Amino acid sequence: MDGRTFFGAFRGGGGSNEMSELVRLTDVTKVYQGGITGALNGVTVTVEEGEFTAIMGPSGSGKSTMLNLVAGLDRPTSGTIAVGGTDIGGLGEAGLARFRRDRIGFIFQFFHLLPNLTALENVLIPAQLKGNVVPGRARELMDKLGITDVADRYPARLSGGQQQRVAVARALINHPTLLLADEPTGALDTRSGEQVMELLGNLHRDGQTILLVTHDAKLATRHATRVISVMDGKIVDDARLESAERNASDVIRVRSEETSR
Amino acid sequence: MTAVLVKAMRDLRRRRLQAAVIFFTTLLAVGTATMALMLISQPGDPYKAAFEAQKGAHLQVGFDSRLDPSTLVGTASLIGATAYGGPYRATEIQFQSGSHKYVMPTYGRDNPNGDVEQLRISAGNWPASDNEIALTQSFANLYHISIGDRLKVVSVPQAPVLTVVAEVVDIDEVRADVGGQRAWVLSSAIGPLTVKATSFSMMDYRFASDPTSAQLQADMDTLRASLPPGSVTLSVSYLLIRSVFNVPDQVLTSVLTAFSLLALAATAAIVANLVTGIVISSYWEIGIMKAVGFTPLQVVGVFVLQVLIPAVAACAVGIPAGTILSQPLLANSSQALGLAYQATYSPALDLVALVAALLIVTIAALVPALRAGLLKPAVVIANAIAPRDQSGRWLRRLASRIGLPRPVVLGLGEAAARPLRAILTLVAIFVGVATLVVALGETRSFAAIYNYEGHIGKVDVAVTKSPALTDADATQLINSQSETTRVVAKATDNVTVPGIADPVSTDIFRGESSQLGYLMTAGRWFNGPGEVVAPRGLVDDAHLKVGDTFTGTYRGAALKLRIVGEVFDFITGPGGHELMLDWSTITPVVPDLSPSSYLVTLKPGSNVDAYVKRLAAAQPDLLGVQAANSGNQAFLATLAGILFAIALVIALIAVAGIFNTLLLNTRERVRDTATLKALGMSPRQVIVMVAASAGFLALVGGMAAVPTGLELYRSLFDLLSNLGGDDTPPALYDVFATWELIAIPLAGVVVAVAAALIPGRWAARTNVVEVLHAE
Repeated sequence: MDGRTFFGAFRGGGGSNEMSELVRLTDVTKVYQGGITGALNGVTVTVEEGEFTAIMGPSGSGKSTMLNLVAGLDRPTSGTIAVGGTDIGGLGEAGLARFRRDRIGFIFQFFHLLPNLTALENVLIPAQLKGNVVPGRARELMDKLGITDVADRYPARLSGGQQQRVAVARALINHPTLLLADEPTGALDTRSGEQVMELLGNLHRDGQTILLVTHDAKLATRHATRVISVMDGKIVDDARLESAERNASDVIRVRSEETSR
Repeated sequence: MTAVLVKAMRDLRRRRLQAAVIFFTTLLAVGTATMALMLISQPGDPYKAAFEAQKGAHLQVGFDSRLDPSTLVGTASLIGATAYGGPYRATEIQFQSGSHKYVMPTYGRDNPNGDVEQLRISAGNWPASDNEIALTQSFANLYHISIGDRLKVVSVPQAPVLTVVAEVVDIDEVRADVGGQRAWVLSSAIGPLTVKATSFSMMDYRFASDPTSAQLQADMDTLRASLPPGSVTLSVSYLLIRSVFNVPDQVLTSVLTAFSLLALAATAAIVANLVTGIVISSYWEIGIMKAVGFTPLQVVGVFVLQVLIPAVAACAVGIPAGTILSQPLLANSSQALGLAYQATYSPALDLVALVAALLIVTIAALVPALRAGLLKPAVVIANAIAPRDQSGRWLRRLASRIGLPRPVVLGLGEAAARPLRAILTLVAIFVGVATLVVALGETRSFAAIYNYEGHIGKVDVAVTKSPALTDADATQLINSQSETTRVVAKATDNVTVPGIADPVSTDIFRGESSQLGYLMTAGRWFNGPGEVVAPRGLVDDAHLKVGDTFTGTYRGAALKLRIVGEVFDFITGPGGHELMLDWSTITPVVPDLSPSSYLVTLKPGSNVDAYVKRLAAAQPDLLGVQAANSGNQAFLATLAGILFAIALVIALIAVAGIFNTLLLNTRERVRDTATLKALGMSPRQVIVMVAASAGFLALVGGMAAVPTGLELYRSLFDLLSNLGGDDTPPALYDVFATWELIAIPLAGVVVAVAAALIPGRWAARTNVVEVLHAE
C-alpha cells in the first residue's frame, strides 16, 4: 500500500471526483471587542469538497480569524457560515463541540499537544471524547506518519516535527470532513516544514479537503490548488491553480503587490 | 523594600481570588483559635472571683444531726479553720411546683451573710417567716420558678406550702442542669420540714489559704477521729465544686482547642498549596524579577507578603470576632454564678493568637516561596510555568483500563499531576472530613450518654417517692398497675471509703438492677451482698482493683465490700467517686432503708403516658411520676452547636482548599483546556473533567479521614470520659452505621464536585481563540 492509498482509505470527505460545496461563508464580518474596523469585513467565499485551499495574508489580515470561524471556535459578528450544509451559527456550545469533534480536524502552529499525555494518548483524545476506542487506527496513522517509535513518549521529549506529526494524526483520527491547518509549519525548521506540507499534499491527493492558513507563499503554492489572499479583512485575490508550478509566481506577485500598498 | 511591597501589592490586586481564599481560611481558623484561647485562659476566672467575693467554704461537712451544735462549732478550731458557718440544720425536702416535683437539700439559716459561704440575693428578700423559702437562682431559672410562687412540700405529711421569696447565688450550686442545688428556710422552719432519714447538720469551714487535697483529707481524718463513728455523713471540698463547675468549660475548651488546631493545619495546607501554585504559574515572571535585580530574598518576600497581607487583614477581623463570639460562652460561667458579666478582653491573648496565626501562615508560605527565590533566571524565563512530571499517568492508565469516560480519565490524571498540590489539598480535605466525623461522633456519644444515664430503652417510667409515703405503699401502688413488669428501687446515700476524703455517693438498688443496662468497663455487675461496682476513678483513687476487698463505713457501721466491676457513669462528676451496690448489702446495717425512687419497666406496647397519668393521680402529692427521659440536654445542645459550627468552619476551609486547587489547576491548564475544546470537548465534558479531579481528591481524602476521624473522636471522647473518672465502654463508641462511614466520604465527593462547578464552568467557557492566540 503506498502513501496515497493509505490516506485515501482514512480521509474524510470521500474520494469522488465530483466537486460539491463544503464550506460557505456568506457576507461574514467579525469585529473584535474594542476594534474599530473588522478582522473580517463582509467576506463571501465557498470551498469545494476535496480542495486544498491556502489562505494567505500578512499578520492581522484576518486569515486566522476566518479559520477559527470555520472551525466554530469563534462566532461571526454578522453573516453566516455553513459547513457541509450545516449553519454552524445555529449551533450552541455543545453542538459546536460535537461539530468540531465529528467533522473538523485542526492542526495548530504550536501543535498544542497535551503535555501530560503520551503521543499515542494525544492522538486518541478526539476519538475518546466521541466515545470511540480506536487504538488500532491511531497506531496505523502513526505508523504512516513515521512516529510509531515515539508513541509512548511525552510531547516534551519529541522534536517539533514529531510533535506536528502527532498533531496531524490527532486531527485525522475522527475522519474529519475538513482539515484546518493554522500555520502548521510556523514553528518548524525548513526540513520539518517541508515534510509536514508533503504530508498535507498527500492527504489532499487522497481527497481530503484542506484549508490552510500560511504566510509562506512558496510553501502554499507548491501544494495548494487554490490560494485566497486576504488583506484588511477582505479577500483581495482568489486563484485556482491549474498547475501549481505555472501559477505560483502570479500568486506571489499578487501577494507582494497587496503587501506593498 | 519598596519594590517588594509594590510588587506584592500589585500581585495581590491581580490575584484577588487567591487573596480572598487566604483571607477566608485564615479568618475562620484564627477566629476559632481565639475563641479557644479565650476559654482556656478564662480571663478573670469567674469561679475564683465569686469564691472570694462570697467567702466560699473550702470544706463543707455534714454531720449526724444528733450531734450537739457546740461540739460542731468546736470542730473549726480542731482543723485550724480561720472562719466557719453553721451548724445549719438541714434535710432533704420534696416539693411540688405546678405538676413537677423536685427533691432539694434545704438548710435552716437565718441570714444570707456571715464569715463563710455568703449567699448573694439576686432577687427578692431573705425569708422572714416560716412559710417562706429561698432558692438558687439557676434552679429557679431552669425550672421557671419565680418569686411569689408557692411550693407544696410533699415530703412531710403536713404538706406545708412555702412561698418563694428570694433567688440567691450560692458559690456551691454548680449548675442547675448538673445538680448541686439547695434551698433555705429560717432555722425555725426547718424542724417541721425535716425527714429523719435525710436530716443532718452542716458546717462550713474556711481556711487562711487555699488548702490542698491532701490537707483537706487530713482535716477529714481529724474530724472522723475526734467524733463518734458515723458522725460525718457527707463532705464537699471546694476543689470538687470547682472542678464540677469547670467540667463543661473543660469539655468545650478541649474540643475547641482540638478543632482550632485542625483548622490551623488546614489553613497552613491551603496557604502552602496556594503559594506553590502561584510560584508554579509565575516562572516567567520570577525570571524577569531576577533579571531586573530582585535578590532571592526579595523574591521570597514578594510571595510571602502576598500571603501575609490578606492574613493580617483576616486576623484584624478574626481576632476581634473570636473575642466577641467567645463572650457568651464566658458569660455563661459568670451568669451561672450570678455574677454580672463584664466583657473581657486580653490584649496578650489576642497578641498570642495574632503571632501564632501569622507564624503558621508565614511558615506555610515560606517553603514554596523559597523555591521561587532559588530558581535560576535563565531557566525560568524559558518556561512560562513549571514543567510537570508524569505523576498522573498511572492514575489515567488505571482509569482508562476500567473504561471510564475520557473526560473523567483526564480529570483523574490532572488530580495527581502536581503531587505536592494534591497532597496539600488532601490534607485540607482530610482535616475537614475528620473534623466532621469527630463532631458527629462526639455529639452522638453525648446523646447516647444522656440516654444511657436516663436508662432509655431499659426503663419506661421514673417514680420519685416522698419520704412521707412508705416504701410498701409505693411498691404496692406501682405493682398494682397491670403494665408493670419490673421495678428497681433506688436509694442514694454516702459511704466512706478508705483513702477517699469525702464520703462517696452510693446508689443502693433493690430488684433486678442488672437489667438497668449499666455498662461495665471491667469485671461484672454486682451479684449479691457485699459486692460493689464503681467507676475507674474511685477504684484508682482508693488504690483498689477489681477483686479487692475493703471496709467501708455506712452510718457508723463497717461494711465489708468487694469491688467486682468498674462501671461507666459519666454524670458522677470529676473523679468518678461513686459506688453502686445491692440493697442486701445495706439492710443488715439499716433494716428500714427506704428508696427515694423507683425505675419501672412496662410491658411492651404499653401506653406510657396513660400509665404516668394514672400512677401520678393515685398519689398526686407523694409520688413524682414521669416517663423516663434523657434529662436536661442544654449542655449537649450547646456542645453540639459549637461542635457543628466548628466542623462547618473547617469543612468550609476544606472546600476552600479544593476550590483553590481547582482554580490553580484550571488556570494552569487553560491552554490544554482550550486545545481540548478545539478538538471537540464539549462544555459539559470540560466540567466533568474538572469535577472528576475534585471528586477524586475528595474521595481519597475522605476515605483516609474517616478512620483517622474515628480514632481522633475516640481519643477526645476518652479524654472527656477521663475527666469524669471513667473509662469509655466500647458500646458508646458504636455510634456510626457502616453506611454512614461510607456516606461521609461520598458526601465529601458531592461537596467537592459542587465546589468544582465554578472553576469547571470557567474552564468550559475558555475562549479557545484568545488562549491559543496568546502563544
